[in-house]
Amino acid sequence: MSIRWRDERALVRGAQGGSSAALEELFRLHWGRAHRAAYLVVHDAAAAEDIAQESFLAAIRNLDRFDRRRPFAPWLHRIVVNRAIDHARARTLRAETVLDPLLAAPGVGGDGVPDDSLLTAIAALPPEQRAVIVLRHLLEYTPGEIAELLMLPRGTVNSRLRRGLDAIGGTEQ
Amino acid sequence: MRQELDRIVIPEATEAEERAARIIVAAFHEPRLVQRHRRVRGPLVALSVAVVVVAAVLSPPGRAVVNQVRRAVGIDDARPALFSLPTPGRLLVAADSGIWIATPDGSRRLLGRYDEASWSPFGRFVVASRTNELATLEPNGTVRWTVARPGVRFPRWTGTATDTRIAYLTRSRLHVVAGDGKDDVDIGGAPAAAHVAPAWANGFGFVLSYADTHGRITSILTAKGGALWRSVALQAPRSLEWTGNGKELLVLSTGRISTLRGTDGREIANRPAPSALSIALRPGTDAVAELGRADGASRVKLAGRVLFSSAGELRGLTWSPDGRWLLTGAPESDQWVFIRADGRKIVAVSNISAQFRSGTFPRVEGWCCSK
Repeated sequence: MSIRWRDERALVRGAQGGSSAALEELFRLHWGRAHRAAYLVVHDAAAAEDIAQESFLAAIRNLDRFDRRRPFAPWLHRIVVNRAIDHARARTLRAETVLDPLLAAPGVGGDGVPDDSLLTAIAALPPEQRAVIVLRHLLEYTPGEIAELLMLPRGTVNSRLRRGLDAIGGTEQ
Repeated sequence: MRQELDRIVIPEATEAEERAARIIVAAFHEPRLVQRHRRVRGPLVALSVAVVVVAAVLSPPGRAVVNQVRRAVGIDDARPALFSLPTPGRLLVAADSGIWIATPDGSRRLLGRYDEASWSPFGRFVVASRTNELATLEPNGTVRWTVARPGVRFPRWTGTATDTRIAYLTRSRLHVVAGDGKDDVDIGGAPAAAHVAPAWANGFGFVLSYADTHGRITSILTAKGGALWRSVALQAPRSLEWTGNGKELLVLSTGRISTLRGTDGREIANRPAPSALSIALRPGTDAVAELGRADGASRVKLAGRVLFSSAGELRGLTWSPDGRWLLTGAPESDQWVFIRADGRKIVAVSNISAQFRSGTFPRVEGWCCSK
Protein backbone atom coordinates (compact mmCIF):
# COMPACT_ATOMS: atom_id res chain seq x y z
CA MET A 1 0.00 0.00 0.00
CA SER A 2 2.81 2.40 0.85
CA ILE A 3 4.51 1.80 -2.52
CA ARG A 4 1.25 2.49 -4.27
CA TRP A 5 0.79 5.65 -2.25
CA ARG A 6 4.28 6.85 -3.20
CA ASP A 7 3.48 6.12 -6.84
CA GLU A 8 0.24 7.96 -6.47
CA ARG A 9 1.96 10.99 -4.98
CA ALA A 10 4.30 11.06 -7.96
CA LEU A 11 1.31 10.89 -10.30
CA VAL A 12 -0.48 13.69 -8.48
CA ARG A 13 2.70 15.77 -8.61
CA GLY A 14 3.01 15.04 -12.33
CA ALA A 15 -0.61 15.96 -13.00
CA GLN A 16 -0.27 19.15 -10.99
CA GLY A 17 2.69 19.98 -13.21
CA GLY A 18 0.57 19.52 -16.32
CA SER A 19 1.51 15.96 -17.35
CA SER A 20 -1.41 14.33 -19.11
CA ALA A 21 0.34 10.94 -18.92
CA ALA A 22 0.40 11.22 -15.13
CA LEU A 23 -3.20 12.32 -15.12
CA GLU A 24 -4.28 9.38 -17.24
CA GLU A 25 -2.40 6.96 -15.03
CA LEU A 26 -4.04 8.48 -11.98
CA PHE A 27 -7.39 8.13 -13.72
CA ARG A 28 -6.78 4.45 -14.59
CA LEU A 29 -5.69 3.77 -11.03
CA HIS A 30 -8.91 5.09 -9.53
CA TRP A 31 -11.64 4.91 -12.16
CA GLY A 32 -12.70 1.32 -11.49
CA ARG A 33 -13.36 1.80 -7.76
CA ALA A 34 -15.00 5.17 -8.26
CA HIS A 35 -17.28 3.96 -11.03
CA ARG A 36 -18.25 0.81 -9.14
CA ALA A 37 -18.97 2.76 -5.95
CA ALA A 38 -21.23 5.13 -7.85
CA TYR A 39 -23.01 2.25 -9.56
CA LEU A 40 -23.68 0.44 -6.31
CA VAL A 41 -25.22 3.57 -4.81
CA VAL A 42 -27.32 4.73 -7.77
CA HIS A 43 -27.98 1.41 -9.56
CA ASP A 44 -28.00 3.06 -12.95
CA ALA A 45 -25.04 2.51 -15.24
CA ALA A 46 -25.42 5.75 -17.17
CA ALA A 47 -25.85 7.85 -14.06
CA ALA A 48 -22.90 6.11 -12.41
CA GLU A 49 -20.74 6.89 -15.43
CA ASP A 50 -21.74 10.53 -15.28
CA ILE A 51 -21.21 10.76 -11.54
CA ALA A 52 -17.76 9.16 -11.65
CA GLN A 53 -16.79 11.27 -14.66
CA GLU A 54 -17.98 14.53 -13.09
CA SER A 55 -16.26 13.63 -9.84
CA PHE A 56 -12.96 13.15 -11.64
CA LEU A 57 -13.45 16.43 -13.44
CA ALA A 58 -14.20 18.16 -10.14
CA ALA A 59 -11.12 16.57 -8.60
CA ILE A 60 -8.75 17.60 -11.36
CA ARG A 61 -10.22 21.10 -11.46
CA ASN A 62 -9.11 21.42 -7.87
CA LEU A 63 -5.88 19.52 -8.25
CA ASP A 64 -3.80 22.62 -7.57
CA ARG A 65 -5.31 22.87 -4.11
CA PHE A 66 -4.83 19.19 -3.33
CA ASP A 67 -2.38 18.45 -0.53
CA ARG A 68 0.04 15.84 -1.91
CA ARG A 69 0.84 14.56 1.55
CA ARG A 70 -2.63 13.05 1.69
CA PRO A 71 -3.86 10.07 -0.36
CA PHE A 72 -5.89 10.90 -3.45
CA ALA A 73 -8.46 8.11 -3.18
CA PRO A 74 -10.40 9.31 -0.10
CA TRP A 75 -10.64 12.77 -1.62
CA LEU A 76 -12.07 11.36 -4.84
CA HIS A 77 -14.30 8.84 -3.08
CA ARG A 78 -15.79 11.57 -0.90
CA ILE A 79 -16.85 13.45 -4.05
CA VAL A 80 -18.15 10.33 -5.79
CA VAL A 81 -20.17 8.98 -2.89
CA ASN A 82 -21.67 12.33 -1.94
CA ARG A 83 -22.72 12.95 -5.53
CA ALA A 84 -24.14 9.47 -5.79
CA ILE A 85 -26.15 9.94 -2.58
CA ASP A 86 -27.47 13.28 -3.88
CA HIS A 87 -28.46 11.65 -7.15
CA ALA A 88 -30.19 8.72 -5.49
CA ARG A 89 -32.03 11.00 -3.04
CA ALA A 90 -33.13 13.33 -5.81
CA ARG A 91 -34.55 10.48 -7.83
CA THR A 92 -36.51 9.30 -4.84
CA LEU A 93 -37.85 12.75 -4.03
CA ARG A 94 -38.83 13.57 -7.57
CA ALA A 95 -41.44 10.80 -7.73
CA GLU A 96 -40.50 10.20 -11.29
CA THR A 97 -42.95 9.15 -13.90
CA VAL A 98 -41.42 6.84 -16.43
CA LEU A 99 -43.00 7.46 -19.77
CA ASP A 100 -42.01 4.47 -21.78
CA PRO A 101 -40.27 1.14 -21.29
CA LEU A 102 -37.72 2.08 -23.95
CA LEU A 103 -36.78 5.10 -21.87
CA ALA A 104 -37.15 3.54 -18.50
CA ALA A 105 -34.23 3.75 -16.15
CA PRO A 106 -33.04 0.23 -15.57
CA GLY A 107 -34.05 -1.36 -12.36
CA VAL A 108 -32.11 -4.01 -10.62
CA GLY A 109 -31.39 -6.72 -13.08
CA GLY A 110 -32.03 -4.29 -15.92
CA ASP A 111 -29.46 -3.01 -18.37
CA GLY A 112 -28.90 -6.56 -19.46
CA VAL A 113 -27.36 -7.43 -16.13
CA PRO A 114 -28.08 -10.85 -14.72
CA ASP A 115 -30.12 -10.41 -11.57
CA ASP A 116 -27.93 -10.51 -8.55
CA SER A 117 -29.21 -11.06 -5.07
CA LEU A 118 -26.64 -8.80 -3.39
CA LEU A 119 -27.31 -6.04 -5.87
CA THR A 120 -31.02 -6.48 -5.32
CA ALA A 121 -30.60 -6.33 -1.59
CA ILE A 122 -28.44 -3.20 -1.72
CA ALA A 123 -30.88 -1.55 -4.11
CA ALA A 124 -33.61 -1.91 -1.53
CA LEU A 125 -31.67 0.14 1.04
CA PRO A 126 -31.97 3.90 1.46
CA PRO A 127 -29.16 5.74 -0.39
CA GLU A 128 -27.40 6.69 2.85
CA GLN A 129 -27.15 3.04 3.92
CA ARG A 130 -26.00 1.96 0.47
CA ALA A 131 -23.24 4.55 0.66
CA VAL A 132 -21.83 3.35 3.98
CA ILE A 133 -22.01 -0.29 2.85
CA VAL A 134 -20.09 0.62 -0.30
CA LEU A 135 -17.54 2.67 1.57
CA ARG A 136 -17.01 -0.05 4.16
CA HIS A 137 -17.14 -3.21 2.07
CA LEU A 138 -16.10 -2.15 -1.42
CA LEU A 139 -13.67 0.67 -0.69
CA GLU A 140 -12.67 -0.79 2.68
CA TYR A 141 -12.71 2.33 4.81
CA THR A 142 -13.03 1.98 8.56
CA PRO A 143 -16.17 3.38 10.21
CA GLY A 144 -14.06 6.23 11.57
CA GLU A 145 -12.80 7.09 8.10
CA ILE A 146 -16.33 6.89 6.70
CA ALA A 147 -17.53 9.25 9.40
CA GLU A 148 -14.83 11.70 8.35
CA LEU A 149 -15.55 11.30 4.64
CA LEU A 150 -19.27 11.84 4.99
CA MET A 151 -18.94 14.30 7.86
CA LEU A 152 -21.20 12.20 10.06
CA PRO A 153 -20.95 11.16 13.71
CA ARG A 154 -19.30 7.78 14.00
CA GLY A 155 -22.36 6.41 15.78
CA THR A 156 -24.51 7.28 12.78
CA VAL A 157 -22.13 5.44 10.48
CA ASN A 158 -22.18 2.39 12.72
CA SER A 159 -25.96 2.36 12.95
CA ARG A 160 -26.34 2.74 9.17
CA LEU A 161 -23.87 -0.06 8.64
CA ARG A 162 -25.67 -2.30 11.11
CA ARG A 163 -29.12 -1.61 9.69
CA GLY A 164 -27.88 -2.00 6.15
CA LEU A 165 -26.15 -5.27 6.86
CA ASP A 166 -29.19 -6.57 8.75
CA ALA A 167 -31.34 -5.78 5.75
CA ILE A 168 -29.11 -7.49 3.22
CA GLY A 169 -28.36 -10.39 5.49
CA GLY A 170 -24.64 -9.76 5.79
CA THR A 171 -22.37 -9.43 8.77
CA GLU A 172 -19.82 -6.85 9.73
CA GLN A 173 -16.38 -8.37 9.40
CA MET B 1 -18.47 -9.18 0.65
CA ARG B 2 -15.76 -7.23 -1.19
CA GLN B 3 -15.38 -10.05 -3.70
CA GLU B 4 -19.12 -10.27 -4.24
CA LEU B 5 -19.31 -6.52 -4.79
CA ASP B 6 -16.43 -6.74 -7.22
CA ARG B 7 -18.17 -9.48 -9.17
CA ILE B 8 -21.25 -7.41 -9.90
CA VAL B 9 -21.22 -6.64 -13.60
CA ILE B 10 -21.57 -2.98 -14.54
CA PRO B 11 -23.03 -2.70 -18.04
CA GLU B 12 -20.57 -1.31 -20.57
CA ALA B 13 -17.95 -0.66 -17.91
CA THR B 14 -15.04 -0.78 -20.34
CA GLU B 15 -16.70 1.60 -22.78
CA ALA B 16 -17.56 3.92 -19.90
CA GLU B 17 -13.93 3.98 -18.79
CA GLU B 18 -12.68 4.80 -22.27
CA ARG B 19 -15.27 7.52 -22.73
CA ALA B 20 -14.37 9.03 -19.38
CA ALA B 21 -10.64 8.82 -20.09
CA ARG B 22 -11.06 10.73 -23.34
CA ILE B 23 -13.20 13.39 -21.71
CA ILE B 24 -11.00 13.85 -18.69
CA VAL B 25 -7.74 14.02 -20.60
CA ALA B 26 -9.32 16.48 -23.05
CA ALA B 27 -10.73 18.55 -20.21
CA PHE B 28 -7.33 18.57 -18.53
CA HIS B 29 -5.96 20.52 -21.47
CA GLU B 30 -8.62 23.18 -21.27
CA PRO B 31 -6.97 26.38 -20.01
CA ARG B 32 -9.06 26.63 -16.87
CA LEU B 33 -8.13 23.10 -15.81
CA VAL B 34 -4.37 23.41 -16.12
CA GLN B 35 -3.23 26.21 -13.85
CA ARG B 36 0.32 26.42 -15.05
CA HIS B 37 2.64 28.96 -13.50
CA ARG B 38 2.37 32.34 -15.12
CA ARG B 39 5.45 33.80 -16.64
CA VAL B 40 6.27 37.39 -17.21
CA ARG B 41 5.37 37.73 -20.88
CA GLY B 42 4.77 41.46 -21.20
CA PRO B 43 8.17 42.38 -22.64
CA LEU B 44 8.05 39.46 -25.09
CA VAL B 45 4.59 40.42 -26.32
CA ALA B 46 5.63 44.05 -26.74
CA LEU B 47 8.72 42.98 -28.70
CA SER B 48 6.62 40.70 -30.95
CA VAL B 49 4.18 43.50 -31.70
CA ALA B 50 7.04 45.84 -32.54
CA VAL B 51 8.54 43.29 -34.93
CA VAL B 52 5.18 42.86 -36.71
CA VAL B 53 4.75 46.63 -37.08
CA VAL B 54 8.25 47.13 -38.48
CA ALA B 55 7.78 44.20 -40.89
CA ALA B 56 4.49 45.72 -42.05
CA VAL B 57 6.08 49.01 -42.82
CA LEU B 58 9.05 47.54 -44.63
CA SER B 59 7.66 44.81 -46.86
CA PRO B 60 4.61 43.69 -48.88
CA PRO B 61 4.46 40.38 -46.99
CA GLY B 62 4.53 42.45 -43.84
CA ARG B 63 1.57 44.47 -45.02
CA ALA B 64 -0.24 41.18 -45.61
CA VAL B 65 0.45 40.30 -41.99
CA VAL B 66 -1.16 43.56 -40.90
CA ASN B 67 -4.20 42.81 -43.03
CA GLN B 68 -4.51 39.45 -41.32
CA VAL B 69 -4.18 41.10 -37.93
CA ARG B 70 -6.81 43.67 -38.88
CA ARG B 71 -9.23 40.95 -39.85
CA ALA B 72 -8.61 39.24 -36.55
CA VAL B 73 -8.97 42.50 -34.67
CA GLY B 74 -12.38 43.05 -36.23
CA ILE B 75 -14.34 45.17 -38.64
CA ASP B 76 -12.94 48.68 -38.81
CA ASP B 77 -16.15 50.64 -39.23
CA ALA B 78 -18.02 48.90 -36.44
CA ARG B 79 -20.51 50.85 -34.37
CA PRO B 80 -19.14 51.55 -30.92
CA ALA B 81 -22.36 50.42 -29.19
CA LEU B 82 -25.58 48.55 -29.87
CA PHE B 83 -27.65 51.57 -30.99
CA SER B 84 -30.24 49.37 -32.69
CA LEU B 85 -30.86 45.94 -34.15
CA PRO B 86 -31.00 45.73 -37.94
CA THR B 87 -34.45 44.11 -37.93
CA PRO B 88 -37.38 43.68 -35.51
CA GLY B 89 -37.17 41.20 -32.67
CA ARG B 90 -35.50 41.00 -29.28
CA LEU B 91 -32.23 39.31 -28.40
CA LEU B 92 -31.75 37.12 -25.36
CA VAL B 93 -28.14 37.32 -24.22
CA ALA B 94 -26.18 35.34 -21.62
CA ALA B 95 -23.33 37.22 -19.97
CA ASP B 96 -21.32 36.85 -16.77
CA SER B 97 -23.67 39.35 -15.17
CA GLY B 98 -26.73 37.26 -16.07
CA ILE B 99 -29.40 37.06 -18.74
CA TRP B 100 -30.24 40.20 -20.70
CA ILE B 101 -32.85 41.25 -23.22
CA ALA B 102 -31.76 43.63 -25.98
CA THR B 103 -34.57 45.38 -27.84
CA PRO B 104 -34.61 46.76 -31.42
CA ASP B 105 -33.82 50.28 -30.21
CA GLY B 106 -30.67 48.99 -28.54
CA SER B 107 -31.90 49.26 -24.96
CA ARG B 108 -30.89 46.45 -22.67
CA ARG B 109 -32.43 44.99 -19.54
CA LEU B 110 -30.81 42.60 -17.09
CA LEU B 111 -33.33 39.90 -16.13
CA GLY B 112 -31.33 38.23 -13.38
CA ARG B 113 -28.31 36.17 -12.56
CA TYR B 114 -28.95 33.12 -14.68
CA ASP B 115 -26.60 31.14 -16.89
CA GLU B 116 -28.77 30.06 -19.82
CA ALA B 117 -32.16 31.02 -21.21
CA SER B 118 -34.57 30.71 -24.08
CA TRP B 119 -37.74 32.41 -25.22
CA SER B 120 -41.24 31.09 -24.79
CA PRO B 121 -42.88 30.29 -28.15
CA PHE B 122 -44.37 33.77 -28.57
CA GLY B 123 -41.69 35.68 -26.71
CA ARG B 124 -43.98 36.60 -23.82
CA PHE B 125 -41.78 34.89 -21.26
CA VAL B 126 -38.26 33.63 -20.78
CA VAL B 127 -37.16 30.38 -19.22
CA ALA B 128 -33.81 30.67 -17.50
CA SER B 129 -31.54 28.34 -15.61
CA ARG B 130 -28.72 28.50 -13.15
CA THR B 131 -26.88 25.68 -11.45
CA ASN B 132 -29.70 24.32 -9.34
CA GLU B 133 -32.73 26.24 -10.52
CA LEU B 134 -35.08 26.56 -13.43
CA ALA B 135 -37.17 29.75 -13.54
CA THR B 136 -39.65 31.41 -15.84
CA LEU B 137 -39.69 35.18 -16.02
CA GLU B 138 -41.55 37.98 -17.68
CA PRO B 139 -39.44 40.18 -19.95
CA ASN B 140 -39.41 42.83 -17.21
CA GLY B 141 -37.64 40.38 -14.91
CA THR B 142 -40.61 39.35 -12.75
CA VAL B 143 -40.22 35.72 -11.75
CA ARG B 144 -43.32 33.57 -12.47
CA TRP B 145 -42.20 30.32 -10.92
CA THR B 146 -39.05 28.39 -10.09
CA VAL B 147 -38.18 24.78 -9.52
CA ALA B 148 -35.03 23.49 -7.82
CA ARG B 149 -33.17 20.75 -9.67
CA PRO B 150 -29.50 19.77 -9.67
CA GLY B 151 -27.30 20.99 -12.50
CA VAL B 152 -30.01 22.51 -14.71
CA ARG B 153 -29.02 23.23 -18.31
CA PHE B 154 -30.41 23.84 -21.80
CA PRO B 155 -33.97 25.00 -21.05
CA ARG B 156 -36.09 24.93 -24.21
CA TRP B 157 -39.74 26.08 -24.45
CA THR B 158 -42.33 25.10 -27.03
CA GLY B 159 -46.09 25.03 -27.50
CA THR B 160 -49.18 26.95 -28.49
CA ALA B 161 -50.84 30.00 -26.99
CA THR B 162 -52.73 27.80 -24.54
CA ASP B 163 -50.47 24.84 -23.82
CA THR B 164 -46.71 24.85 -23.52
CA ARG B 165 -43.91 22.60 -22.31
CA ILE B 166 -40.35 23.24 -21.21
CA ALA B 167 -37.62 20.67 -21.68
CA TYR B 168 -34.36 20.87 -19.77
CA LEU B 169 -31.49 18.70 -18.62
CA THR B 170 -30.31 18.15 -15.11
CA ARG B 171 -26.88 16.57 -14.72
CA SER B 172 -27.68 13.81 -17.17
CA ARG B 173 -31.46 13.56 -17.06
CA LEU B 174 -34.00 14.93 -19.45
CA HIS B 175 -36.99 16.64 -17.85
CA VAL B 176 -40.21 18.07 -19.20
CA VAL B 177 -42.37 20.46 -17.20
CA ALA B 178 -45.58 22.23 -18.18
CA GLY B 179 -45.36 25.94 -18.89
CA ASP B 180 -47.07 26.71 -15.58
CA GLY B 181 -44.39 24.84 -13.67
CA LYS B 182 -46.55 21.80 -12.91
CA ASP B 183 -46.09 18.10 -13.68
CA ASP B 184 -42.32 18.02 -13.86
CA VAL B 185 -41.37 14.64 -15.29
CA ASP B 186 -37.95 13.02 -15.44
CA ILE B 187 -37.96 11.07 -18.65
CA GLY B 188 -34.27 10.24 -18.57
CA GLY B 189 -33.64 6.59 -19.10
CA ALA B 190 -30.51 4.76 -20.06
CA PRO B 191 -28.18 5.78 -21.41
CA ALA B 192 -28.21 9.26 -19.94
CA ALA B 193 -28.77 12.42 -21.91
CA ALA B 194 -25.61 13.97 -23.32
CA HIS B 195 -24.82 17.62 -22.68
CA VAL B 196 -26.58 18.73 -25.84
CA ALA B 197 -29.63 20.98 -25.97
CA PRO B 198 -32.81 18.99 -26.62
CA ALA B 199 -34.94 20.11 -29.57
CA TRP B 200 -38.72 20.40 -29.86
CA ALA B 201 -40.46 19.68 -33.15
CA ASN B 202 -43.22 21.97 -34.34
CA GLY B 203 -46.62 20.30 -34.54
CA PHE B 204 -48.87 18.14 -32.44
CA GLY B 205 -47.95 15.94 -29.53
CA PHE B 206 -44.93 17.82 -28.19
CA VAL B 207 -42.27 15.74 -29.91
CA LEU B 208 -38.93 16.18 -28.20
CA SER B 209 -35.55 14.91 -29.39
CA TYR B 210 -32.40 14.53 -27.37
CA ALA B 211 -28.94 13.01 -27.73
CA ASP B 212 -27.75 10.37 -25.31
CA THR B 213 -24.23 9.68 -24.13
CA HIS B 214 -23.86 6.97 -26.77
CA GLY B 215 -24.50 9.43 -29.58
CA ARG B 216 -27.98 8.18 -30.39
CA ILE B 217 -30.88 10.53 -30.90
CA THR B 218 -34.21 9.64 -29.30
CA SER B 219 -37.52 11.29 -30.10
CA ILE B 220 -40.32 11.17 -27.57
CA LEU B 221 -43.99 11.92 -28.01
CA THR B 222 -44.22 13.64 -24.66
CA ALA B 223 -47.98 14.34 -24.83
CA LYS B 224 -48.71 10.61 -24.85
CA GLY B 225 -45.65 9.43 -23.06
CA GLY B 226 -44.00 7.22 -25.63
CA ALA B 227 -40.78 6.98 -27.57
CA LEU B 228 -41.19 7.49 -31.29
CA TRP B 229 -37.79 6.27 -32.36
CA ARG B 230 -34.13 6.03 -31.50
CA SER B 231 -31.50 6.63 -34.17
CA VAL B 232 -28.24 4.84 -34.81
CA ALA B 233 -25.24 6.22 -32.95
CA LEU B 234 -23.70 9.34 -34.43
CA GLN B 235 -20.26 10.60 -33.56
CA ALA B 236 -20.60 13.07 -30.69
CA PRO B 237 -23.76 14.97 -31.69
CA ARG B 238 -23.47 18.60 -30.66
CA SER B 239 -26.63 20.26 -31.92
CA LEU B 240 -30.14 19.22 -32.93
CA GLU B 241 -32.62 21.28 -34.90
CA TRP B 242 -36.00 20.35 -36.34
CA THR B 243 -37.07 21.77 -39.66
CA GLY B 244 -40.01 24.16 -39.41
CA ASN B 245 -42.47 21.60 -40.79
CA GLY B 246 -41.39 19.00 -38.25
CA LYS B 247 -40.55 16.45 -40.92
CA GLU B 248 -36.80 16.26 -40.50
CA LEU B 249 -34.26 16.62 -37.74
CA LEU B 250 -30.84 18.09 -38.52
CA VAL B 251 -27.99 16.82 -36.41
CA LEU B 252 -24.54 18.34 -36.33
CA SER B 253 -22.06 15.74 -35.15
CA THR B 254 -18.30 15.53 -35.46
CA GLY B 255 -17.46 16.10 -39.10
CA ARG B 256 -20.97 15.56 -40.40
CA ILE B 257 -24.41 17.07 -40.79
CA SER B 258 -27.10 14.40 -40.85
CA THR B 259 -30.76 14.65 -41.75
CA LEU B 260 -32.95 12.22 -39.83
CA ARG B 261 -36.48 11.44 -40.97
CA GLY B 262 -38.95 12.75 -38.43
CA THR B 263 -41.17 9.70 -38.49
CA ASP B 264 -38.61 6.97 -37.79
CA GLY B 265 -35.22 8.58 -37.18
CA ARG B 266 -33.59 7.02 -40.23
CA GLU B 267 -30.69 8.99 -41.64
CA ILE B 268 -31.97 10.02 -45.04
CA ALA B 269 -29.08 12.31 -45.93
CA ASN B 270 -25.73 13.35 -44.63
CA ARG B 271 -22.83 15.40 -45.79
CA PRO B 272 -19.31 15.81 -44.51
CA ALA B 273 -18.79 19.03 -42.61
CA PRO B 274 -15.32 18.64 -41.11
CA SER B 275 -15.01 22.28 -40.12
CA ALA B 276 -18.59 22.95 -38.97
CA LEU B 277 -18.97 24.40 -35.48
CA SER B 278 -22.61 25.55 -35.56
CA ILE B 279 -25.61 25.26 -37.82
CA ALA B 280 -28.85 27.24 -37.88
CA LEU B 281 -31.94 26.67 -40.01
CA ARG B 282 -33.26 29.79 -41.68
CA PRO B 283 -36.77 30.41 -40.33
CA GLY B 284 -39.51 29.28 -42.67
CA THR B 285 -37.13 27.48 -45.04
CA ASP B 286 -34.92 24.43 -45.09
CA ALA B 287 -31.78 26.45 -45.86
CA VAL B 288 -28.98 25.78 -43.41
CA ALA B 289 -26.51 28.42 -42.30
CA GLU B 290 -23.21 26.98 -41.18
CA LEU B 291 -20.36 28.42 -39.18
CA GLY B 292 -17.05 26.66 -39.67
CA ARG B 293 -13.36 27.16 -39.25
CA ALA B 294 -10.70 25.79 -41.60
CA ASP B 295 -7.34 26.87 -43.01
CA GLY B 296 -7.00 29.65 -40.47
CA ALA B 297 -10.29 31.35 -41.31
CA SER B 298 -13.80 31.29 -39.88
CA ARG B 299 -16.60 31.33 -42.42
CA VAL B 300 -20.35 31.77 -42.30
CA LYS B 301 -22.04 29.99 -45.19
CA LEU B 302 -25.63 29.81 -46.30
CA ALA B 303 -26.57 26.93 -48.58
CA GLY B 304 -22.88 26.49 -49.41
CA ARG B 305 -22.21 30.14 -50.24
CA VAL B 306 -19.75 32.09 -48.09
CA LEU B 307 -21.47 35.17 -46.64
CA PHE B 308 -18.69 36.31 -44.33
CA SER B 309 -15.21 35.23 -43.38
CA SER B 310 -12.74 36.32 -40.75
CA ALA B 311 -9.23 35.38 -39.75
CA GLY B 312 -10.36 35.47 -36.14
CA GLU B 313 -12.64 33.15 -34.25
CA LEU B 314 -16.38 33.44 -34.80
CA ARG B 315 -18.76 32.02 -32.24
CA GLY B 316 -22.47 31.27 -32.39
CA LEU B 317 -24.96 31.62 -35.21
CA THR B 318 -28.46 33.00 -34.72
CA TRP B 319 -31.12 33.91 -37.26
CA SER B 320 -33.33 36.94 -36.90
CA PRO B 321 -37.00 35.95 -36.58
CA ASP B 322 -37.73 37.22 -40.09
CA GLY B 323 -34.88 35.15 -41.54
CA ARG B 324 -33.21 38.19 -43.08
CA TRP B 325 -30.16 38.54 -40.85
CA LEU B 326 -27.66 36.25 -39.19
CA LEU B 327 -25.83 37.18 -36.03
CA THR B 328 -22.44 35.79 -35.09
CA GLY B 329 -19.90 36.85 -32.48
CA ALA B 330 -16.23 37.73 -32.87
CA PRO B 331 -14.83 37.31 -29.34
CA GLU B 332 -11.29 38.36 -30.17
CA SER B 333 -12.45 41.75 -31.37
CA ASP B 334 -15.37 41.87 -28.88
CA GLN B 335 -17.81 42.46 -31.72
CA TRP B 336 -21.14 41.20 -32.90
CA VAL B 337 -21.45 40.84 -36.64
CA PHE B 338 -24.88 41.08 -38.25
CA ILE B 339 -24.82 39.56 -41.73
CA ARG B 340 -27.65 40.12 -44.17
CA ALA B 341 -28.74 36.82 -45.70
CA ASP B 342 -27.89 37.99 -49.21
CA GLY B 343 -24.34 38.64 -48.01
CA ARG B 344 -24.40 42.24 -49.26
CA LYS B 345 -24.45 44.04 -45.96
CA ILE B 346 -22.51 43.61 -42.76
CA VAL B 347 -23.17 45.55 -39.58
CA ALA B 348 -20.67 45.18 -36.77
CA VAL B 349 -21.04 46.40 -33.21
CA SER B 350 -18.05 46.73 -30.87
CA ASN B 351 -17.62 46.70 -27.10
CA ILE B 352 -20.14 43.92 -26.59
CA SER B 353 -18.74 42.58 -23.33
CA ALA B 354 -18.79 45.94 -21.59
CA GLN B 355 -22.35 46.61 -22.70
CA PHE B 356 -23.49 43.42 -21.00
CA ARG B 357 -21.13 43.83 -18.02
CA SER B 358 -19.35 40.62 -18.85
CA GLY B 359 -15.79 39.46 -18.33
CA THR B 360 -16.26 36.83 -21.02
CA PHE B 361 -17.77 37.28 -24.43
CA PRO B 362 -21.59 37.24 -24.18
CA ARG B 363 -23.54 34.46 -25.86
CA VAL B 364 -26.72 35.02 -27.87
CA GLU B 365 -29.39 32.63 -26.59
CA GLY B 366 -32.17 33.59 -28.98
CA TRP B 367 -33.65 36.23 -31.25
CA CYS B 368 -37.34 36.23 -30.97
CA CYS B 369 -40.51 37.45 -32.39
CA SER B 370 -40.95 40.10 -35.01
CA LYS B 371 -43.83 41.73 -33.16
